Amino acid sequence: MATEQTAAFEKQPMWAGGRSPFNVSYGKLMMWIFLLSDAFTFSSLLVQYGAQRFSNAESAVTTKWPDPASIFNHFPFMHGVHLPLLFVSVMTFILILSSVTMVLAVEAGHRNSKKEVQTYMLWTILGGVAFLSCQAWEWATFIHEGARLDSNLFGITEQGYKHLESVGFGDHFEWEAGDRTFGPVPFAALFFIVTGFHGFHVFSGVVINVVVYIMTFRGVFERRGHYEMIEKAGLYWHFVDLVWVFVFTFFYLI
Amino acid sequence: MDFPTKPGEYDPINYVPHTDSHGTKELWKTFWILLGITVFDFVIYFVMPASGLRNVIFILFGLVKAYYIVGAFMHLKHERINLALMIIVPTIFIVGLIMGLLYEGNAIGLMK
Repeated sequence: MATEQTAAFEKQPMWAGGRSPFNVSYGKLMMWIFLLSDAFTFSSLLVQYGAQRFSNAESAVTTKWPDPASIFNHFPFMHGVHLPLLFVSVMTFILILSSVTMVLAVEAGHRNSKKEVQTYMLWTILGGVAFLSCQAWEWATFIHEGARLDSNLFGITEQGYKHLESVGFGDHFEWEAGDRTFGPVPFAALFFIVTGFHGFHVFSGVVINVVVYIMTFRGVFERRGHYEMIEKAGLYWHFVDLVWVFVFTFFYLI
Repeated sequence: MDFPTKPGEYDPINYVPHTDSHGTKELWKTFWILLGITVFDFVIYFVMPASGLRNVIFILFGLVKAYYIVGAFMHLKHERINLALMIIVPTIFIVGLIMGLLYEGNAIGLMK
C-alpha cells in the first residue's frame, strides 16, 4: 500500500535521484522557490524606498523626508485626533491573528480534521478581509489629505513640526495654513506602490484561501487523504505577514 | 493526486511526505511573542526619542519577528537543513544591497 511504499522510498539515499532531497513534495518546494523570488521583489521595492529616503534627508523643506507619525495619525471614527501609529498597530495585530488561525488550520489538517480546517480557514479569510478594509480606509484618508502618486503635499515646514510637537497623543490636531508645502515626491509614490503591492498580495492570498476553503468544504482533501494544500496556501499567507513586518518597520516605525 | 498503487512504481511529482502534528503549543507561544514585540515596538516609539539607536532596535525586532514567522509558522525550523539554507542564504545578499544603496542614496542627497 501507499504508506509502506512511502516508507520504502524514504529509506533511499537523499541525493541518488528519484526523490526530493529536501524531503518535501514538489508543490511545496515550488511554493518556497516562488516565495524566495517574491522576497526579492519586495526587497527591490524596499531598497528603492531606503535609497530614495536617504537621498532626501536634507534640511530644505522640499527634499526633507516627512516624519511618518505626523501623517499616519488617524483612527476611524476619531476625526481630528492625533493618534500616531495606533491604527497601523491594529492592522498588524489583525494580520498576526489571521496568521495564527492559518497555522491552526494547517495543524488541524495534519490531524485530518475537516471541520476544524474549515473553521480556521474561515477566520483566516475574515482576518484578511478586515486587513484589506483597514488598508482601504487608510488609503482613502491619505488621499483625502492630499497625497497623490505623482505629488506629495507633505513637505512639513518648521512651523508644521512645531505645531506637531505641541500636540500630545490623543489631542486634537488638524493641519493649519503654512504647516506644509510640497515635499519629496517619492514619499507618497512609494507608499502607494509598496503598500499597494503588499495589499494586492493580501488580496490574492484571500482569493487562494477562499478557493482552498471551498475545496475543503467539498471534501477534495478528504478524498485525497492529506491536507497539504492548506500548508501551501499557509506558506503564502505567512509570507504576506512577513512582508508586512518589514513594511511596518520601514514605513511607519522608522 | 493519488499514490501509485503498483509496488516499485514511484511518482516524485505526486509524492507527499507524511507530516505529524506538533500540537498547538509552539504556535500560541509564537503568537504571544509576536504580539509582545509589536506592543513593545509601539511603546518604544513613544518612550524613546527618534535616533539611530531606536531605528536599530526596530530593525532587530523586525528580524526577530521574521525569525519566528519563518521558523514556527512557515515550519522551516522543522524542515531539512538543506531546504532551510536554500531559502535563507540568498536573502543574506539583500543586506549587502541595502547597505550599498543607502550609502549611495546618502551621497546623492549630499550633492542635491
